[in-house]
Amino acid sequence: MAQTPRSEARTGLKLISPTAIYVILLLAVPLATVLVYSVMTGGRGIVSFPLTFENYAELWSKSVYGYIMLKSLLVALVVTAATVILAYPVAYFVSFHVKPERKSLWLFLITIPFWTSYIIRVSLWFVILGFGGVLDSTLAVVGLQPLNLASYSILSIIIVLAHAYAPFAVLPIFVSLEKVDRSLLEAGQDLGESRWVTFLRVTLPLSMPGVIAAALIVFIPTVGDYVTPELVGDGKEPMIANLIETQLLKLQNFPQGSAFAVASMLMVGIVSVAFVLWNRRFIGGSK
Amino acid sequence: MTATDDRPTMIEFKDVHKYYGDYHALRGINGTIKAGEFFSLLGPSGCGKTTLLRTIAGFEDISSGVIMIDGKDMADVAANVRPTNMVFQSYAIFPHMSVEENVGFGLRKDPRSKEDKARAVAEALEQVGLKGFGKRAAHALSGGQRQRVALARALILKPKVLLLDEPLSALDKKMREHMQVELIKLQRQVGITFILVTHDQEEALVMSDRIAVMFEGEIAQLADPETLYRRPATRKVADFIGTMNFIPASILSEAGDKVEVEAKGLGRVALDIAQAPEKTGETPVVGLRPETLTLLYDDQKAPERETDGVIDEVIYFGDMTYYDVYLGGTDVEVRLSMRNVPGRPVLDVGDRVRVAWSPSALVLFR
Repeated sequence: MAQTPRSEARTGLKLISPTAIYVILLLAVPLATVLVYSVMTGGRGIVSFPLTFENYAELWSKSVYGYIMLKSLLVALVVTAATVILAYPVAYFVSFHVKPERKSLWLFLITIPFWTSYIIRVSLWFVILGFGGVLDSTLAVVGLQPLNLASYSILSIIIVLAHAYAPFAVLPIFVSLEKVDRSLLEAGQDLGESRWVTFLRVTLPLSMPGVIAAALIVFIPTVGDYVTPELVGDGKEPMIANLIETQLLKLQNFPQGSAFAVASMLMVGIVSVAFVLWNRRFIGGSK
Repeated sequence: MTATDDRPTMIEFKDVHKYYGDYHALRGINGTIKAGEFFSLLGPSGCGKTTLLRTIAGFEDISSGVIMIDGKDMADVAANVRPTNMVFQSYAIFPHMSVEENVGFGLRKDPRSKEDKARAVAEALEQVGLKGFGKRAAHALSGGQRQRVALARALILKPKVLLLDEPLSALDKKMREHMQVELIKLQRQVGITFILVTHDQEEALVMSDRIAVMFEGEIAQLADPETLYRRPATRKVADFIGTMNFIPASILSEAGDKVEVEAKGLGRVALDIAQAPEKTGETPVVGLRPETLTLLYDDQKAPERETDGVIDEVIYFGDMTYYDVYLGGTDVEVRLSMRNVPGRPVLDVGDRVRVAWSPSALVLFR
């Protein structure tokens, strides 16, 4: 029996329907709810009409909100930059200087931090950075004043997040470095460039897709990170996620919280699109 | 093929050894490569020919010995400052760059103006037959085009030596034969020393002024193609280059510049000492190329010697026919090739034939 294109399409729809229902219920519906809520009126657990842009106006009018959003963005960008810059040498080392048969072991070792709960890892940073912690007692041995870095909330947040996301950054960079044909590096030297310049002109541009992927993987979750500022900064340095939480759960102002969430999504969206566009330049070249 | 004896030396190897851990990859390489020569390193895979090429480029250190390029010891000279450039087996075209960026890669430190460099790039592309391809993306090129880009990229730097690491192995047969001729022409035109690594003996014979045949980290013979083909130094070289029939023989006498042997199926033959390369201690055999044996038709007379035979196998090739023939009522089988010309019928298995041969075409391995 010959299948008509239409019946083929029907079969196709049937096949993808479980996934489609899953995506619609768990992604599209909540997203649409948040979008609709953000233009409704409400407070104290109630949402009601009329539709209004009041919530967004509120976001614009109070500089504290703008400050928190900008702070979240900057912290996420610094964390992203720090993570990628620290992860690159690790990925480079594993890709270029570890014997092929040992590479998977090394990657496995890099994932070890994930074996412990994130909350425990955050707490352990207090032991290192906090008053009388490992860092300060080490400094005391060489006769320096204690720093008590844990009291600088933003710095601590950055350190903890950069550490937490490092493995996520190592892997995509490693993969892109693995794909760099080693004879290209010899060709670079053969054509008169030193190892360092060959790295800058050949290896680095060819690994940029991995670097940008790593940046995205770190940036997107860190902008919306809720746990770290809550625990490390003791809630004294709220980020955008803490703001949303306050509105949605503490004040039960669903429309206002939704408006913050949408604004935060837009911010992440814009930066991510910029990353993706930047990535196109490199991906176009390397097949 | 041109005389190369009077040219100055470009590269000199003095007892070069290379170890990878316990593995002895190069076992005492000696020899010279002349300026402007098309030189080939020929051998089966794993014989060390690529390793030797890479030691010239500076990608591999040598364990002991000396490599001189243009009179300078290369011991402490890094790859990026050696007067050599390489065409890699994979071509190693930078995938994130256009064709002209690839070709101009090595010109970064060149003091010429941007316009002059762009002109040099355009000229180099024209030289390899890629005029107007400059703006193309490197990953959109075919294999043959990539190779041309790799050539242009190396030649634009005017190296003293161009190293070619099996550059034709990835191309199909037609393209390969075409590129062989183009490379020869290009080499004549630029006059640079070319060193080609290949495992294809035909390619080496076609292209080279001189060839070093390598086995297991050693140079077995270094000679021009004709000498290599007609007077191979060992049975192994003879077997690697083209086809050769080996006929068991015993040495009857050796006096002055004559060696007399008794070859099975051929009878007694007096050879010139030049036909007997140095002793290697093997069981004596005489070698004969298939084209030096001729079938005699009807009342044809052999100009020198002839032997009876019976055809055991006929392999028809269109322009040629190969015959496997048992010689003189023995179990010695030789392969001979005959051009298929009008009036010369292709014979059948079992036919009795007469085979003409010349003592001067024999080589004795002992």
